[in-house]
Amino acid sequence: MGWDKDIDEIKTRRALAKQQGGAEAVARQHEKGRLTIRERIDILLDTDSFNEVGEGAGVPEYDDAGQLTDFQPANFVLGFGEIGGRRVIVGGEDFTLKGGSPNPAGLRKSVYAEQLALKFKVPLIRLHEGGGGSVGGTAQEKKRRPLGEPVFTTSRFVPLAETLGHVPVATAALGPVAGLPAARLVASHFSVMTENAAVLIAGPQVVKRALGHDLTKEELGGPQVHLKSGAIDNLASDEEDALRQIARFLSYLPDNAWARPPRLSCSDPVDRCEDALANIVPKDRRQPFQMRKVITDVVDREGDATSFFEMSRKYGPSLITGLARLNGHSVGVIGNDCMYYAGAMTAAAAQKLRRFVDFCNSFHLPVLSFVDEPGFMIGPDSEAAGTIRHGTAAISAVLQSRVPWASVQVQKAFGVAAQAHFGPDSYVLSWPSAASGALPVEGGVAVAFAREIAAAPDPAARQKELEEMLAASQSPFPRAEGLSVHEIIDPRETRPKLAAWLELAQAAQTDPPAPFMATMRP
Amino acid sequence: MKVKVTSEIAGQVWKVVANVGDALAADDVIIILESMKMEIPILAPRAGTLAALHVGAEDMVSEDQTVAELDVS
Repeated sequence: MGWDKDIDEIKTRRALAKQQGGAEAVARQHEKGRLTIRERIDILLDTDSFNEVGEGAGVPEYDDAGQLTDFQPANFVLGFGEIGGRRVIVGGEDFTLKGGSPNPAGLRKSVYAEQLALKFKVPLIRLHEGGGGSVGGTAQEKKRRPLGEPVFTTSRFVPLAETLGHVPVATAALGPVAGLPAARLVASHFSVMTENAAVLIAGPQVVKRALGHDLTKEELGGPQVHLKSGAIDNLASDEEDALRQIARFLSYLPDNAWARPPRLSCSDPVDRCEDALANIVPKDRRQPFQMRKVITDVVDREGDATSFFEMSRKYGPSLITGLARLNGHSVGVIGNDCMYYAGAMTAAAAQKLRRFVDFCNSFHLPVLSFVDEPGFMIGPDSEAAGTIRHGTAAISAVLQSRVPWASVQVQKAFGVAAQAHFGPDSYVLSWPSAASGALPVEGGVAVAFAREIAAAPDPAARQKELEEMLAASQSPFPRAEGLSVHEIIDPRETRPKLAAWLELAQAAQTDPPAPFMATMRP
Repeated sequence: MKVKVTSEIAGQVWKVVANVGDALAADDVIIILESMKMEIPILAPRAGTLAALHVGAEDMVSEDQTVAELDVS
C-alpha cells in the first residue's frame, strides 16, 4: 500500500474546490447576470494558461470515521496566467462563497497576490466582487478571542502600496465591492466597473444607521457616482468588455518598472497627413472643436480602430487622458477638451493629470500633450475646491517628469496652468491657431485697460480695438522666429513630425529603466 | 419613453436651437450654452422628438441640470 489514497484525496479536494459555493450559489450568481470568478479568469486568460496558486487552501470537513466529506475552498482564487502570451498574476473574490467576504484562507491568498506580483515583477489583475470583513470576525475567530496579527507582521497595505511603483495593476468591479476589496480595487493604475457593479466604503444599511440616508447600493456607489468621483476610470458594457479593456490597457505597458513598454509593428503610414486637421480649429475662438478627433487623427490606427484608449473620461472632463501608440511606440496622451469650461483646469482635472503623469513616469511612457489650456478654472466653486493647490501639484508632477515630452500647441496656452502641458524639456510644435500669453485677451483686456476703456469716447469700440491688437501679439509666428517653439507647422504635419521626434527621443533613452520616485508636491 | 437631456457644464443659455415637437437625430443641437466665453452645444443623446424644453435664452444652467426631454418611443 503506497500513497494512492492520499493522491486520490488531493484529486477529490481539487474537484470540491472547483465547485466554489456549490451549484445553487453558482446558479444564483448567473441569475444576477454575473459570471463566477473562475469563469472570469477563464475568459481573461489565454486558453489553458491558468496556473493556480493555493488551490488546496480551504477548510475540510470530515465524518466521524475521519473521511473527507466536504471542502470549502478559500474564497479568493489566485494564479499566474498569460494574456496574449504575456505573463500576469490574476486574482479575485469568489462571491458564491460568503458573498466574497474573506474566509481565513481567502484573506491569506488575497494578500499574497501583491506579494507575488512584487516578487515575480509581473502585471497584477484583480477582479473584485465582495465585501470586507464582518464585525463578528471570521468563522475561525468566532470560536476564540481574536489575538490579532503579531506585531512583527508586515501590514498587508505595504505590498499594496509598493505594487503601484513596480508593476502595472489593473482592476475590475464586477458586482458589489465594499470595504477592503474596494480599497484594493482603487489601488490600481486602471480600474473598470460594469453597469451593475457598486463600489462602497460601507453599504446602505450602515449608511442609514449612521447618517439617516436611505439609499440603494447603486445610488451610493454605482457607475454614475464613481466615474465622476474619479474612484473608477472606465465603464464597461458587460463583464467581457471589462476584461477586454483590462487586456487592452496592459498591451501598452511593460511587465514592470525595470522594463520599457513593448513596441508593436505599425501598419499605419508614419507620414499620414490628415487634411481634416488643417481647419479643425475654428478661426472664431468662441466656437469649440473636437480635441479627440485631433488625437485620433494623429496617433496610430490599428485596422479600423484607433490605438487611442481613453481612461477616466467622466472625471475632470476638461482634460482628456489616455494611452495610444505612435509608430508602434506606446505613449501617454493628454489634451484639453474645450467642450468643458473651454478646457480649463478644474481641481478634478488637475488631480487626474497628476495621477496620469506619475503613471506615465512609472512605466516610461513618453507623453504627447495636445494643448488648448485657457488657465485654471475660475469662480467661487473652483476656489472652494482648492484648485490652485491641486493645479500647482499637477504642474510639479509634469515638471518632475523624466519621460520624453512633446507638446502640440493646438490653440490656447494661457496662465500658470499652461505650464502643466509642457514637460521639463518638451519638444514644442505650434499650430497656426496657437495663442499664448498671461491670460486670454477676452478676459484680460477689460481688467488691464479698465481706465483707458472707460475714458474712451466709445468704450466698446476701444475694448474691441485693444482686444484685436493684443490678440495679434499672441500669434505663434514671433515665437517661432525667436525659437521659443521648435517649429510652427501645418497641422497636417503633426503625425510625421511627432513620429520623427519620438524615434530620436526613444533612442536617447540609454539609462536602464528603474522605478520612478518623486518628492512631496504642493 | 422620455429621455432626459442634461447639461454636463454650468453656463448661460445663449441660444435655443430646436423647438418642442422637432424630430431630432442623435447629436443634433438642442441648445447652445455660453460657458467660459465659448459657445458649447447641448446635443440630442439619441434620435427622438423634442418633448420639452426646460430653459430659455439667458437662463443660467448648472452642472447636471435637466434642460430638455426627448421622446424616443
